[in-house]
Amino acid sequence: MVTLLEVKDVYSGYGKIEVLHGVSIHIAPREIVCIIGPNGSGKSTLLKTIVGLIKPKKGSIRFFGSEISGKDPEEKVRMGISYIPQGRNIFPTLTVMENLEMGGTPLGDPSRIEMAIREIFERYPILNKRKKMKAGSLSGGEKQVLALARASMIKPKLILLDEPSLGLAPKVIDEMYRQINSINQEGATFLIVEQNARKALRLAHRAYVLDLGLNRLEDTGEGLLNNEEVKHLYLGR
Amino acid sequence: MTFLLQSIFNGLLAGCIYALFAMGLTLIYGVLNFVNFAHGELIMWGAYFLYLFMESPLGLPLPIALIPALCLTILLGLSMDRFAFKPLRQANRLTLLITALGLSFFLRNGAQLFWGAELRTYGFEIKRGWKIFNISITTNQIAIILTTLVCIAVVYLLLHRSRIGKSMRAVSDNLELARVAGINTRRTIRFAWIMSSSLACIGGILLALDTNLQPGMGMINLVKAFAAILLGGVGNIWGALLGGIVIGFAENLGVLIISTGYKDAIAFGIMVLLLLLKPPILYGSQD
Repeated sequence: MVTLLEVKDVYSGYGKIEVLHGVSIHIAPREIVCIIGPNGSGKSTLLKTIVGLIKPKKGSIRFFGSEISGKDPEEKVRMGISYIPQGRNIFPTLTVMENLEMGGTPLGDPSRIEMAIREIFERYPILNKRKKMKAGSLSGGEKQVLALARASMIKPKLILLDEPSLGLAPKVIDEMYRQINSINQEGATFLIVEQNARKALRLAHRAYVLDLGLNRLEDTGEGLLNNEEVKHLYLGR
Repeated sequence: MTFLLQSIFNGLLAGCIYALFAMGLTLIYGVLNFVNFAHGELIMWGAYFLYLFMESPLGLPLPIALIPALCLTILLGLSMDRFAFKPLRQANRLTLLITALGLSFFLRNGAQLFWGAELRTYGFEIKRGWKIFNISITTNQIAIILTTLVCIAVVYLLLHRSRIGKSMRAVSDNLELARVAGINTRRTIRFAWIMSSSLACIGGILLALDTNLQPGMGMINLVKAFAAILLGGVGNIWGALLGGIVIGFAENLGVLIISTGYKDAIAFGIMVLLLLLKPPILYGSQD
């Protein structure tokens, strides 16, 4: 099997506090992989480590076979890894248009950025309507759309998504997962971290359960949804 | 009535200068999340650099001397960051605060060693100026207001029309997000220092034109700039602009009520009041 991303035995954390104690995951191209687990299990830390905001203490991270664990986020975006952090994932005082321009930074050439924005506007007409508005004044759902649009400006190969459903209404969450699905159909790979895991697991091809910074389980999304232990411990009845 | 008008005009004048200081201070706060208490020394050195090029042996005219003075101030600002603040990017706020204060002392005493503590001027004769509505206005004062307007326009254009300026606002909004969006944050931070130092240099020169040069000129005016950014919301550049002008007015209209000797107390008073009302600003927003 071809792997897009391979995380192998990674130890990582903040300063002296180690959060991940040897986590391994792998993702094939075009997959949607979901990571679930309780609060403090290291899900967000894993994403931050992959994107390079935190450098791992030990272990390897390979993207298309080449080692990237020592690289800065700026370089990783250029390689095609987009990251959407949890919650604060837009630039609130910038306009919608400027947010997209910032997302297009790695494209360099202004005409390429402009073209990418045009494509985004075609896909998300709501952003076109709001393009002159401050991003901070958008509704929760619109902000999430903008975050997704900003991250897709560079046509990334891999999108790391941290808690996309946080604080959103169920209807808005459904809409967002539809968008994720359609971006995936066009070829982007997703690694999604979710605490409210049901919807994410239904969409995911494969999923991991992380607990206390260690791999706990790995299965298809469907498999984990029906796993009694997972149901009991992580999904709630 | 004339006194009132004159006070309003003086308030506008002081407000312009404070606004330039406050905008520079808040720019750095925006990208690096700390108050650069050595900003006053950029103001002071900026003014002295111009003096250096205008005095003998060089004796350049002001518009020409301005260029090397601006460059040297920018260089000083960039070196400040490179040698004092950059090694401390991960340090806590207290460390940064103490570093900035130490740097401020060092640079202030450095200037004193170089030029002495006495008051100096650029050596322009004080011209009578015009009388409009019975208030006296000098050419220098007109120049101060016009220069400020030009600076504001340039800052606006840079921040809202240029790519690097937009990136800077993005970094102010959210540094981590800026990094993962692929923005070169190091370059952006350097650019913020260039803008901040330029505003400090120009503001310092204007202040020296209106009053005089002395090594302590930066420190006392930094307090005004600090009060201005508290008033305008820390990190908000247009708030800083407005805050600066308000402080300028408050000081100059305040002397209608209390003695001129207490002029400086007004900015301090506003600052203390704001800190009592909104204490978190000193530590910055944690999110």
